[in-house]
Amino acid sequence: MRKAPFLAASSVALGIGLLAMPGIASADTGNSYQAQLAPLNHSTASGTFMLTLNGSQATITEHVDGLAATFGGKPYPHVQHIHIGAQGNCPTASADKDGDGVVSTTEGAGNYGGIGTTLSTSGDTSPAAGTTLTVAPSGASFDYKRTITLDDKTLAALKGGTGVVVVHGLDPATLSAKAQAAKSDLVPALPLAATSPALCGALTTSQMSMPSGAAATGGGSTAGLQDEGLIAGGAALVAAGAVAGGLALRRRSSTAR
Amino acid sequence: MSQDEQRGPSPRPVARLRLVAAAVLLVLVGAAVIVVALTHQRHAPQPPASAAGTPAASSAPGIPAGSGAAGKTRTAPAPAVAPLPRATPVHLDVPAIGVSSDLLQLGLNPDHTLEVPPLSRDSKAGWYRGSPTPGELGPSVFLGHVDSAEYGAGVFFRLGKLRPGDTVTVRRTDHTAATFRVTRVASYPKNRFPTLEVYGNTDDAELRLITCGGAFDSSARSYLNNIVVYASLVGSRAG
Repeated sequence: MRKAPFLAASSVALGIGLLAMPGIASADTGNSYQAQLAPLNHSTASGTFMLTLNGSQATITEHVDGLAATFGGKPYPHVQHIHIGAQGNCPTASADKDGDGVVSTTEGAGNYGGIGTTLSTSGDTSPAAGTTLTVAPSGASFDYKRTITLDDKTLAALKGGTGVVVVHGLDPATLSAKAQAAKSDLVPALPLAATSPALCGALTTSQMSMPSGAAATGGGSTAGLQDEGLIAGGAALVAAGAVAGGLALRRRSSTAR
Repeated sequence: MSQDEQRGPSPRPVARLRLVAAAVLLVLVGAAVIVVALTHQRHAPQPPASAAGTPAASSAPGIPAGSGAAGKTRTAPAPAVAPLPRATPVHLDVPAIGVSSDLLQLGLNPDHTLEVPPLSRDSKAGWYRGSPTPGELGPSVFLGHVDSAEYGAGVFFRLGKLRPGDTVTVRRTDHTAATFRVTRVASYPKNRFPTLEVYGNTDDAELRLITCGGAFDSSARSYLNNIVVYASLVGSRAG
């Protein structure tokens, strides 16, 4: 028992030591990661990405705006992944080695690495589903929310700070003539625009265990009409007065008879 | 008439008089009660319209709505102050709106939304224990009710009245009092709540004070907006 103050002091010291590390999660629900998605390749899109881990279960909430809207008359499929295994950051225009004005997925790999997890709308989330357009979220803007199991490699990348979210699919009209004519470096049957990165964001540990959305901090007693009881009581008094007055008048008329 | 008076000498006119007097009194008291009730309607203050809606709009400096203190309503860039060591908060003071509240600790609901303080007569604010402690690097999250259906105005009833420059002080278990300055006040529709902007990482020690606001949806028994006050650490002292 005599050791207790010493233990307390050392745990305070430990607490201060931990402070130096970014994003200690004192969470009861696991660690959160976040990424601000920034445009690449003349895209004007933007997005936010949040991921909360519970063991190897990742609950992902993502919102994007301003992507290419249609592809061949249909909603544009935007394949998206957590890339892993490289520097854990996003490329700049200098990564465009062939000078066609587009940082292709392959050209950016030096920064963000290869596919660790495919952020598909259903089914397979492995790298094998990386270019399956039928399970890609689509359209100019979308909300993506899914709970998936992450493999050990992606988990390690998150913890090591080398996970990067990349959303693919450019509007061909924004590209040079040469790039518009080029084939995809990943799927030769597709144009280069279809698989090139449009949004990119490095995943960082959140400073808090991220809650989802809004808070229910109101019960509504000060909204609308208040003190309804008092008003009803007042109305009852007025009504009683009216009845009493009516009675008095009736008596008078009966006595006047 | 004379027959009546002979049968019952005077009680009837007196009773009639009493009844009339009672009737008049009842009507007057009833009307007074209604007037009192209607003049005591209380509604939570809301941030100015310039603070509503999109993140872009909320970060723009607001035009003061008829207030004399023009400088105060602008977005006040708080000087960067080194973060404090971790220490649990125990008490919250927001002098500008008369808030002085001991603090509860809040977690997450099973659906990952923030737990809110229990509805009680003694409405307290709470600190979300999954967020940094106030003064630590990052956004430290505090919640309070604007009101409750049963008990009326809550601890954060006047939160929407705060303006940039107002101060917030949090006492912590290590006997320090951390002082924050409000940098902006925003109102967000709950169905378009900018989660990452409110709860995302920051470069300094910040606070988020959150309550409900906007219109009340009586069918859902819920307000449609959240009011979020952003504040940054400006100093600390032993206390």
